[in-house]
Amino acid sequence: MRWFWIDRFTEFTSGQSATAIKTLSLSEDHLHDHFPGASCMPNTLILEGMAQTAGLLVCEHGGFTKQVVLAKVSKAQFHFEAWPGDTLTYRAQVQSIKDDGAMASVTSHVNGQLQAEAEIFFAHLEQLNSRGDKLELFDPYDLFSWLRLLKLYEVGRDADGNPLKIHPHMAESDPHLRSSAVAAS
Amino acid sequence: MRFKLLDRIVDLKPGVSITAVKGLALSEDYLADHFPQFPVMPGVFMLEAMTQASAWLIRASEDFQHSFVVLREARNVKYADFVAPGQTLTVTAEMLSQTERETKLKVHGMVDGKLNVSARLVLARYNLAEGNAARASADAHVIRQMRLRFDVLYRPTDCSAGASAGNGSPATVNRLAINPTEINSAAIQ
Amino acid sequence: MPVQQAEVFEKVRNCLVDALGVDDDEVTPEATMVGDLGAESIDFLDIVFRLEKTFNIKIPRGELFPEDILSNAQYVREGKVTSEGIAQLKTRMPFVDLTKFEADPRVTNFGNLLTVQDLVNYVQSKLP
Repeated sequence: MRWFWIDRFTEFTSGQSATAIKTLSLSEDHLHDHFPGASCMPNTLILEGMAQTAGLLVCEHGGFTKQVVLAKVSKAQFHFEAWPGDTLTYRAQVQSIKDDGAMASVTSHVNGQLQAEAEIFFAHLEQLNSRGDKLELFDPYDLFSWLRLLKLYEVGRDADGNPLKIHPHMAESDPHLRSSAVAAS
Repeated sequence: MRFKLLDRIVDLKPGVSITAVKGLALSEDYLADHFPQFPVMPGVFMLEAMTQASAWLIRASEDFQHSFVVLREARNVKYADFVAPGQTLTVTAEMLSQTERETKLKVHGMVDGKLNVSARLVLARYNLAEGNAARASADAHVIRQMRLRFDVLYRPTDCSAGASAGNGSPATVNRLAINPTEINSAAIQ
Repeated sequence: MPVQQAEVFEKVRNCLVDALGVDDDEVTPEATMVGDLGAESIDFLDIVFRLEKTFNIKIPRGELFPEDILSNAQYVREGKVTSEGIAQLKTRMPFVDLTKFEADPRVTNFGNLLTVQDLVNYVQSKLP
């Protein structure tokens, strides 16, 4: 099981909102345990998709330099089940971003109907490893690879509506982008 | 990956509460993505472990009348700390109230005696046949499978306690406890 | 309670009910945030966000919940807040009565100091 609970972004406006989709398929192992003989998407994994949509929105606001983790879900409601063959559309809206954390409200829709809604809190983690170095959850190149899979830089817009530029933190991690920058200069 | 977020049920009081454990192993494949440099149990899996414990409490308390027991609402889910590989999360669910359709529970998860996560949950229960009579056989299949899984998860070592909880026959428990006297008498025969 | 304060109290109460999952009637003016209402540090962030949104005010970090003072070695010695630390708290939080805390300034006591009324007073002080 890969920990990817959204398939791609369809809309992304820096610091404001993002929309991502997740398609459900019987080829996903976990569906066969929930439940054996009649599969529906576990609502906690829908919550994770909502958290990933909102979490990346919050993380992008800080140029992907802060470590963003799930800290609290003050309220999550799931109105009906989602089934294999359904496509879930998650829409996240930033409510507030501060130094120590952020809050987003997120919805999940199936065929235009509101399937779930949640208020999610993220903390900006200042974690140190045993050597006292700042701990990163992701190697920047791993994170960049994930963002490319999600087509972030293809649909993303900054607050002024211009196409989102690849963040320096991400570009530095990519050998191809680094060498292109050197060739251009 | 199998979607089984509990390894064993260690205590069950039907209609009241349940305690179960989940050990986190580095071999769980999703840890490679969560996170690559800092593998820890995803928060939603901590929530899922508490949800599954709640669901087993509901199922066992009503003798598996319904096939679908699902999360409807989660409130105040607060994460105090991470669960790292090698640690065991002990989850407890207490039933607060129940209607015909829904159950309210107070849940929490502890690691080494410290509170890691807490929440209030509402779970709904139903049969697919309620919406479509043709789905009754699917309900029967799910219920049968869930009973078998429960027997694997909940194996109280005390024979009489096992019998009163109405799950797993005493024979299942006895098979695991080999009595030298019985082996010798069987050899003589 | 004057009309405006009553309104502020009701809005603060709604924020606390949403943030902490407590019932309306548990949120009395004398109720302490940590002891009575069970607020934890992640809840403080939630409460700050909701108050900012509800009242259209800005709450700088540490102004309402002074975790930075309480965890600063300069102001805390052997688990107790020093007189320098108390002075800092007084400047930072003029809306709270610190007399009781001064008598026994253990850091662990601080959580039980802040009441719902203190929160209401703070919000009121921020309103135009």
